[in-house]
Amino acid sequence: MVKEIIVEPITRLEGHGGLRIVIGDDGKVKDAQFNVTSTRFFEKFCEGRYCEHVPRITTRICGICPIPHHLTPTKAVEDAWNVPIPTPALKLRKLLINAKQYSSHLLHFYALAAPDFLVGPFADPALRNIVYVINKMPDVGAMALKMMDFGQKLCAEVGGKSVHPIAAIVGGMKKPMDEDARQKFLKMVPEQVEFTKKTVDIALKVIEDYWEVIANVGVVPTYYLGMTNKGVHDIYEGDIRVVAPDGKKMDYDVHKYLDVIGEHVPAHSYATHTYYKPAGYPDGIYRTNCLAMTNCADKMATPLADEALKAMKAKIGTDPIHHTFAYHWARIIETVEAIEVIAGLLEDSDICNPDCKTLDIEPKEAEGIGITEAPRGILLYHIWSDADGICKKLNLLVATNHNIAGIEKSLMHVAKQVFEDKVLDGLKLPDPWIK
Amino acid sequence: MAVKVCFSQLSSCWGCHQSLLNAHLGLLDVLPALEIVYWPTVVDFKLASLEARENGEVDVGFIEGLVRTKQDLELTKLTREKCKIIIAFGTCACYGSVPGLANQWSIEEVQNRKFMEVESATTKRIPDQHVPGFVDKVVNVDDIIKVDAYLSGCPPRTEQIVGAVQFLLGQKGFPMNEKTFCEDCVLKESNCLLDKGILCYGPVTSIGCSLKCPNKGDPCVGCMGPAKNTSEKVQKLLDMTKSLDYISSGDKKNLFEFLSLFLNIPLMAGFDLSSDILKQIKKRGKPDTPITNMPSITTEIATNLLAFLAKHPEFHEISNVCQTCPRIVGKGTMTKVKRDYEGLPNQEDCFIEQGYICVGPITKAGCGGLCIKVNATCTGCYGQTEWVTDQATRFYKTIKESFNVDLSKEEFFTQVKDPIGTFNKFTLASNRDFN
Repeated sequence: MVKEIIVEPITRLEGHGGLRIVIGDDGKVKDAQFNVTSTRFFEKFCEGRYCEHVPRITTRICGICPIPHHLTPTKAVEDAWNVPIPTPALKLRKLLINAKQYSSHLLHFYALAAPDFLVGPFADPALRNIVYVINKMPDVGAMALKMMDFGQKLCAEVGGKSVHPIAAIVGGMKKPMDEDARQKFLKMVPEQVEFTKKTVDIALKVIEDYWEVIANVGVVPTYYLGMTNKGVHDIYEGDIRVVAPDGKKMDYDVHKYLDVIGEHVPAHSYATHTYYKPAGYPDGIYRTNCLAMTNCADKMATPLADEALKAMKAKIGTDPIHHTFAYHWARIIETVEAIEVIAGLLEDSDICNPDCKTLDIEPKEAEGIGITEAPRGILLYHIWSDADGICKKLNLLVATNHNIAGIEKSLMHVAKQVFEDKVLDGLKLPDPWIK
Repeated sequence: MAVKVCFSQLSSCWGCHQSLLNAHLGLLDVLPALEIVYWPTVVDFKLASLEARENGEVDVGFIEGLVRTKQDLELTKLTREKCKIIIAFGTCACYGSVPGLANQWSIEEVQNRKFMEVESATTKRIPDQHVPGFVDKVVNVDDIIKVDAYLSGCPPRTEQIVGAVQFLLGQKGFPMNEKTFCEDCVLKESNCLLDKGILCYGPVTSIGCSLKCPNKGDPCVGCMGPAKNTSEKVQKLLDMTKSLDYISSGDKKNLFEFLSLFLNIPLMAGFDLSSDILKQIKKRGKPDTPITNMPSITTEIATNLLAFLAKHPEFHEISNVCQTCPRIVGKGTMTKVKRDYEGLPNQEDCFIEQGYICVGPITKAGCGGLCIKVNATCTGCYGQTEWVTDQATRFYKTIKESFNVDLSKEEFFTQVKDPIGTFNKFTLASNRDFN
């Protein structure tokens, strides 16, 4: 008898979706689907809006990563209208996006992922969540909350609001940072650096505990899509880089994105399947975000993060790293870079410089493209402006969306491992930290 | 006993949840008092577990997001069935938010843009397998089910959400004292305000404030929250609240203040004395929400006051963002409508009088002016203070009356190229002209 396994909804994620795995009479996995069950059509209803207001609408695509959704369309409009931004604005934007990277990655690690590792993947669903972790490990819980709080408060300070910021504007930023605020956050940095180091230790212990899982489950060769700034890891400035399953790196100007990325619209998901166009679909399915970024980067931008990257590459021993569970490790490496970048920018009094916006700006009929690296992957906005600066058309390649095809591919791989090869039967799982 | 809470997430961005999680360490005070029966974002319970609950078994349901898919519609109805109280959580659930802008087009046009026309799409189709399908137009949650309370904001401020939860839990900011304010009152021996026919809430209010309003002849407005007991004057107060039509206008103002401070409603209603939540309670004449631990006579007094307000819509004046804005009005004059990319507004003067469109005058207060603090105009995310179809005309009329504006109606509207996105950005789904 054909058996259907349905998980509805997928929990501990942002967004809406379910999983559907079909197993045939012969015990073979016939189908594995990731059904994304909602979409809201930002591509359409941004038509007719002022181009400079699109960044105040698109933040609502994602409440966890609204900052990239604020900055990227701003970059796209600046690209279209050919508007430069003053250096203080560039620094403020980098501070803002790194503050987001920091809080988002920690939210992901502690609130969304850690319950699996700390409570155990097969624990009672009533307990397998951050609330229980906080109750049982109050020290770790309080530290995690203080780290997320720091990131979110810094976002709110620079961006105006941590959820759905408003401070960026075509041409720069609406306001520099206040000196008092800069000093206040600067004082908090040493504690955050300490917390980050403790988080690295926790992550390394988890990696040690779950080594067998990391090394054997969900090792799926795919392409990787990320951005680098001339080969160096960067989440605000740079161009597209693709890494082939064999490790070959290819760089593309963002303006050529239509040669690089295709969207296959599946019948079973409102989120499209993006893929590397030259390799075709489904061969060109790629993965994005932290592990893709560390696979793309020749090096990290900051010293501690670069050391951490080297340690991961040495331990796993392949390049690129196809180990799905190594995503958690890569995420922590990016977290280290984020706090290092934040510390450096807060030291720089130029972020308080009132020269933070280009004043004379003329809209023109043109198209523009902007990219940043959001916490869940590359984020690309392609905007068409008319002569009055009204948005005629918008195309979006949203960070989370880039992962859908890759997730489905990993799901198929793991479903076969679990249901056909019975890999879980022989698998050694460590004792959970919380019993 | 823990309060059973359900968070149902319709199509949305997760931002309201992020705003709640932004309470960070503050969560430790709130979470232990909740029994979370469904919250896919954080907890692993699946939909089937919510379906299996008895009707009305769950105390409070927070519905977040907008009704875009047929699945959203079903989840909305299911949540209503299972919960005693429904809170429309965030501007999407209250008014549709920015995705409601899609109501300018038919669902076919909207779907075609995303799935058939976008430049990066290669295989093109409208997904139809294991996906729920869309509703033709975005509708408000309260168009489908009865909503008990509205908590608007995109997102609602963290303090508001925590305040709402604490309100529902009967948690108070202050410990309830045994004794009432009357025992501390300078007027207790003679000249009691109640004897003079002035509404004074001393008989039901906790002792211990330092302000002591009666010292300067003003009545107690209940800042300290309810006392565990009532004073001997309580009967007098109760009698007065039974015939409120005869009180002075000053008393009526105090009555608002009393309710908002005493019942902790202002936090829940975005610091707004008569926002939607209060309106809802007024409509039914009694607070359905579990206001715990109050002496029954105190509850009776509060109920009488709410019943009075229910009959007197003239008291339902809603504060707008301008009333919480520190900028100076009266220095400049709007002679031309400026776009946000033009120049950079100074941080002291009213945006409107510097030529920029700021919809603060027609937008509900509650945000605390976050956008204004980083030099960005208000675009209306808390919803409008008055429900008329033509917000654009209302805006023009308001600014012409209250600000220096040297533009005729015709000149003004010629210069506003995107009236829908400017004046109905968050509320188009509530606009019957587009349904």
